[in-house]
Amino acid sequence: MNHSDNDDIEALLREQFDGAVPDDGFTDRVMQRVPPRRRRAAWPVVAGIVAGIGACWLSLLPTSLLQVGWQNWIGGELSASAIVLMAAVAGMSQLACWWTTMESEDPC
Amino acid sequence: MADRAAEARLDQALVARVRLGNDPRAFEQLVRRHQGMVRAQLRRLLHGDHAAADDLAQEAFLLAWRKLDQFRGEARFSTWLYRITYACFLQVYRKKSLSLGDDDEGEGEGEAESLPEPTRAIDLQIDLERAMQRLSTSEQTVLLHCVQLGLSHEETAYVLSMPLGTVKTHATRGKAKLKKWLSAWHDVNEEQNP
Repeated sequence: MNHSDNDDIEALLREQFDGAVPDDGFTDRVMQRVPPRRRRAAWPVVAGIVAGIGACWLSLLPTSLLQVGWQNWIGGELSASAIVLMAAVAGMSQLACWWTTMESEDPC
Repeated sequence: MADRAAEARLDQALVARVRLGNDPRAFEQLVRRHQGMVRAQLRRLLHGDHAAADDLAQEAFLLAWRKLDQFRGEARFSTWLYRITYACFLQVYRKKSLSLGDDDEGEGEGEAESLPEPTRAIDLQIDLERAMQRLSTSEQTVLLHCVQLGLSHEETAYVLSMPLGTVKTHATRGKAKLKKWLSAWHDVNEEQNP
């Protein structure tokens, strides 16, 4: 198909297209349904994250899992505590990535 | 081209006004500026069902209002709006359990040969409409966005969430099929204007 044929077909298609639809009150109907826009506050998310971390820390405090796991991790020792801690960090990172991706995706 | 850039800047300014001041009047201007083409896009996608197209257009604009914070200006506002509209359309389309994919690829390919010879009495536009309907859904959708709505291949790929190569292939194939099916008109024109 040469360039001129392409142009002919495109010209035909454009001619066939009716173009923009007249408003006829459409905008007014949309604006009647537009709800008030609320700016999403960041504090509930931050508070939720802090509360979650705090709750995990408090529940693990008596078992000294965190302390031992952290020390082993830093020391390069692959103990069960260190592995649990790494798995928890990896899991939380994945959840954060997933949440960010879902939030950034548009439509519907 | 300069007009398009100016239009895009105006849209950006209106979006900024909505975001900063939660200004419904700025959004109203955006709706007024784009409703015509969004509704035209939906009317085509819904094969002329004006009422359904207008309902869906309303939903698309309401969604745009809610999601405006997610518009980062990477694409033109109109392109972003077409993308939202197309996503709304797809959602409704899927709910109706209609298949929209490449399963209809090449639909009507065999019928192409048996298309009735266009006669002078039949209007070219009617034949074009029929030929369009014989294209696969993907080809129709790509040609609607690339040619009729005037988007670039890249913008069409963004709106349809389709790889750029696939968009180009559908556009080329669609136009080639139309040319083949409408070739009789071309011959008549050449006979008349040798």
